[in-house]
Order: sequence, then structure tokens, then C-alpha cells
Amino acid sequence: MTTATPSRTSTARPPRPRPRLGTYIGLAAVVAITVWAGIGIEFDLRPLWTDLGRGWFIIQEFLAPNWSYIGRTIGPFIETLSIAVIATLVGCAVGLGMSLLASRVTTANPVLYRAAKLFLSVVRSLPDVGYGLLFFALVGAGSLAGILALIMFNIGIIAKLTSETIDAVDRGPLEAADSTGASALQRARFAVVPMILPNYLSYCLYVFELNIRASVVIGIVGGGGIGSSISVEFARFNYSNVSAIVVLLIVVVFAIDLLSQSLRRRLT
Amino acid sequence: MISFRDVTVTYPTGTVGLDSVTLDIEPGEFVVVVGLSGAGKSTLVRSINGLVPVTSGELLVDDVHVDGAKPAQLRRLRSRIGMIFQSFNLVGRISVLQNVLVGRLHATPLLLSLFGFFRPADKEKAFEALERVGIVEKAYVRASQLSGGQQQRVAIARVLAQDPTVILADEPVASLDPPTAHMVMRDLERINDELGITTIVNLHFLDLARRYADRIIGMREGRVVFDGPPAEADDAVFEQIYGRSLTADDVLSEEEQAEEDALQAQAAAELDAEESRKATPA
Repeated sequence: MTTATPSRTSTARPPRPRPRLGTYIGLAAVVAITVWAGIGIEFDLRPLWTDLGRGWFIIQEFLAPNWSYIGRTIGPFIETLSIAVIATLVGCAVGLGMSLLASRVTTANPVLYRAAKLFLSVVRSLPDVGYGLLFFALVGAGSLAGILALIMFNIGIIAKLTSETIDAVDRGPLEAADSTGASALQRARFAVVPMILPNYLSYCLYVFELNIRASVVIGIVGGGGIGSSISVEFARFNYSNVSAIVVLLIVVVFAIDLLSQSLRRRLT
Repeated sequence: MISFRDVTVTYPTGTVGLDSVTLDIEPGEFVVVVGLSGAGKSTLVRSINGLVPVTSGELLVDDVHVDGAKPAQLRRLRSRIGMIFQSFNLVGRISVLQNVLVGRLHATPLLLSLFGFFRPADKEKAFEALERVGIVEKAYVRASQLSGGQQQRVAIARVLAQDPTVILADEPVASLDPPTAHMVMRDLERINDELGITTIVNLHFLDLARRYADRIIGMREGRVVFDGPPAEADDAVFEQIYGRSLTADDVLSEEEQAEEDALQAQAAAELDAEESRKATPA
């Protein structure tokens, strides 16, 4: 008690573990791959200033948005929002069903579970623009192509996020439902879905945010809406019109993100 | 009637949960299973409704085989066997009534239940179950808003809504404070008396076991090492079941003490703030 040394008889302190060689090798590998990739595509920042002057007149047009054009973009903007709403609704509904199939918690049959997982991997392997081009080829230009493309894009995201949430759900209530003699579907309806609902709705809103942005890109490749307007104005070299659309787009996307985020905060 | 015939349960990890257990439980009995954790009492209870599959031997509930039952048979069997859990296992985000109605799912057509509808007769059963455990006024409250004791009562109501012939309870009071634990045990005792439902409860508090059981089954290392009325289960028997001398941790604090505490708390609440301040010794 008089000395500051610990009174407990202590065993020897363990030696500091040696730094792990694997960490350094991994780090070196990442650097090597990055350098190799840069050399491979002849990565070069010089065009940033040598070629800048060439596009100067385009930038000037961009800096002077044609505000009078905005009135004519309202229609396409509403079309874009409609596409996003419909695609979100359908995609999230189908996504919920798929997520139940793609979790071991809700799907005991290993064949069904694996098939659902595989199907979702395939669905996710194509990006949103990929689906846009695909449905443009299948059903022609227009909002239907955009809606179908977004639905596929949404199923992939929703099913992945939701099935992972289902995997992590508290098993107690599921066991209780099992013990009453309820079937697997009834258990999913009364135990699984109520528990994941806040997360799921939050994913749905997130997907809606993504859809507003994605529907613009998909519109450019023939999916209708404001994306189509951008594509048309680009083709006509009306950069000041494009600029007006972009400004409005930023405002709309920002507003919807704010709305959606405030809703999501209230969910959890 | 529940019959174990040489029942062995081996878990995939190689752990032996039950080691050739043979015993009969008569209709209407109130059986308390005691033993240390890992002694197999949870396995015993969970094998009865097939939550834990039997590895070998025969297990019959009302002359129906639990061992080797097909999924549909097992569901039918489970509908007649209610189960209560240590952590209540309610779905917190839905109402108390919805939680109790889970006990009616087995009798509700699939499509109807998927849309969240129940037949009036089933709703009536759920309300009656809530009335029996005295918590019907909370029917439309979210389950997560209730206290532990209230949640366990809702869990009991869920079981009653099933119209079971057997109630299994796996450490039903281990998460509750002593007065609430006694309240829940008294609920189970009353239901056993009034409805004649066979009740099998896992406990590790020996005072609770002695007080509520018609019959005590002691387990150690997956075997039944004691089976008899509470009068025969003296401290020496428990020391044999536990394989060590008894400690204060083996009993729930005295109920008399708990009731006294409750009375004192009530009395204190009735006093004015001023009076209670005066009464506090300096």
C-alpha cells in the first residue's frame, strides 16, 4: 500500500506480437495492382489542362442556362418521377418476396434458397444502364422501358439488403411461432416481416432516391422522362438547355433526398 | 400422456443432450425439471414439441410419435403443445392481440392469415386468453411497451389461445424479478388447476420447484437422476442432482421478503413527500 507497484503477484507481461507479414504483402499487392492498372490504360492527367481550351465555348453555354426552357421540362420531369414511383413500388414488392426466398431463416428448402440466391446474383450482375439498353431493345424507347429497367435494378438491391436483414433477425419470436404449429409462410408474415419492416421501408425509400437519379441515366439510353430530354438537347448541341435541366435536376434530387432521409430517420 | 422410451438426443456438435431417458408424464401433472445448465433439462422440454429432434428412441405425445414426424404432422402436434420461453419471444413491433393471435395461426386458413385476418371465433379465443392472464386492457398496445412480467403473461396468453393439452415452459422466470417470477408461476399453477393442462416447467431455483411442483424431475448429464414428489426432494437430493453443495444462488430470494418489500414500497408511496422526508433518519 505504501508503494505504487501493483500488489497483485502478476505473471510476466506478454511480448508484443510480431507485426503480421501478410498485412505488408497485401498492402504492397494493392499498390502494385494500382500502378499496373494505371500504366495499362496510360493514365494521364495532362489533357485536363491541354484540352481544356477546346471545350471552352461549351462550358460558356453551360454557365448560361436557358431559364426560359425550364417550363417545357416540367412534363418530362413528372414522367421521370412517375417512372421512379411505379418502379419503386413494383420492385420493392417483388424484392420483398425474393428476399424471403433468399434467406435461410425463411426458406428451409436448400434448393429453393440456392436458386433464389443465384437468380439474384444474375439480376445484380447487370447495371441499371444495362437493363435500360436491354428493355429499350425489347420494348422500344419510352417510359415502359425505363420502368422495367428500374424494376429489375430495384429487385436486386432490395432483395440483397432485405435478405441480409432477415438473416440477422432475432430467432426467439420465430421459434415461438414454430412452437404454435404455424406454417413457414405464416411465421414469415407474423414474426419475420414485422421485425424487418422499419429496415425494409428504409431500403425502399433509399431505392426511390436511387431511382430518381438512375431514371435520368436510363432515360438517356431510351427510357423516357427527363433523361430523354437531356439526350435530345445534347444531340441538338443546345448546351444552355441541358444546363437548365441539370440545375433543375440537382434541385429536385436534393429535395427528394432530404424528404426521403427525414422519413427514414423517423422509421428507426 | 407423454412417454419417453429410451430417448437419446445427440447434437450435431457431438454433445449428448439426453442419454436414454425413459419416463411417463400423466395428463394434468405439474412437473418441474431441475438441474444445472447443460444438464439436459432444456433438451428434455424442447424434444417434446420437436424443436430439438430425437436422435434415437421413441417419444409419444398423446400416442402420436414426435420422433420421425413429418413437417405437417409436427405442426399439428405443436398446435396442441404450447411453449413459454425465458425471453418471452414476443414480436415487439406488433400489438399484444396480434401476438396472442399467433397462437391461432394453426387453425386459420393460410390466405386469410397472410392478409392479417382472423375469424371472429379465433379473435374471441385470443381475448379470452388475455382475460385469463388479466392483461386484456393491453390488447392494442405494442408488445415492446410492456414490462417483462406483462410480456411473459402475453406469452402465456398466446399459448392458451392454442387450446393446448400440454404447456412447456423453458426457464419462464429466469429473466424476471422475484415477485414477478412468483406471479408468473402462480399463473401457470392456476391454469394447470383450472384447465387441467399438463405443465412441464424448467427451473433452476429449488425453492420455486418445491413450492409449485406436483412432481420434480432432477437431471444431470442428460440422465434423470431424481423423479419424485417435492416432499422427497430435500437438500440432500438437490445436492446430488447438482453434484455440489447448495448456495444462496440456488434459491430465489424469499417470497415473504419480496412481498414485504412490495408492501413497504406501497406504504412509502402513500406517504407525502414531506412526511417521507421527515421519516428518513438523519
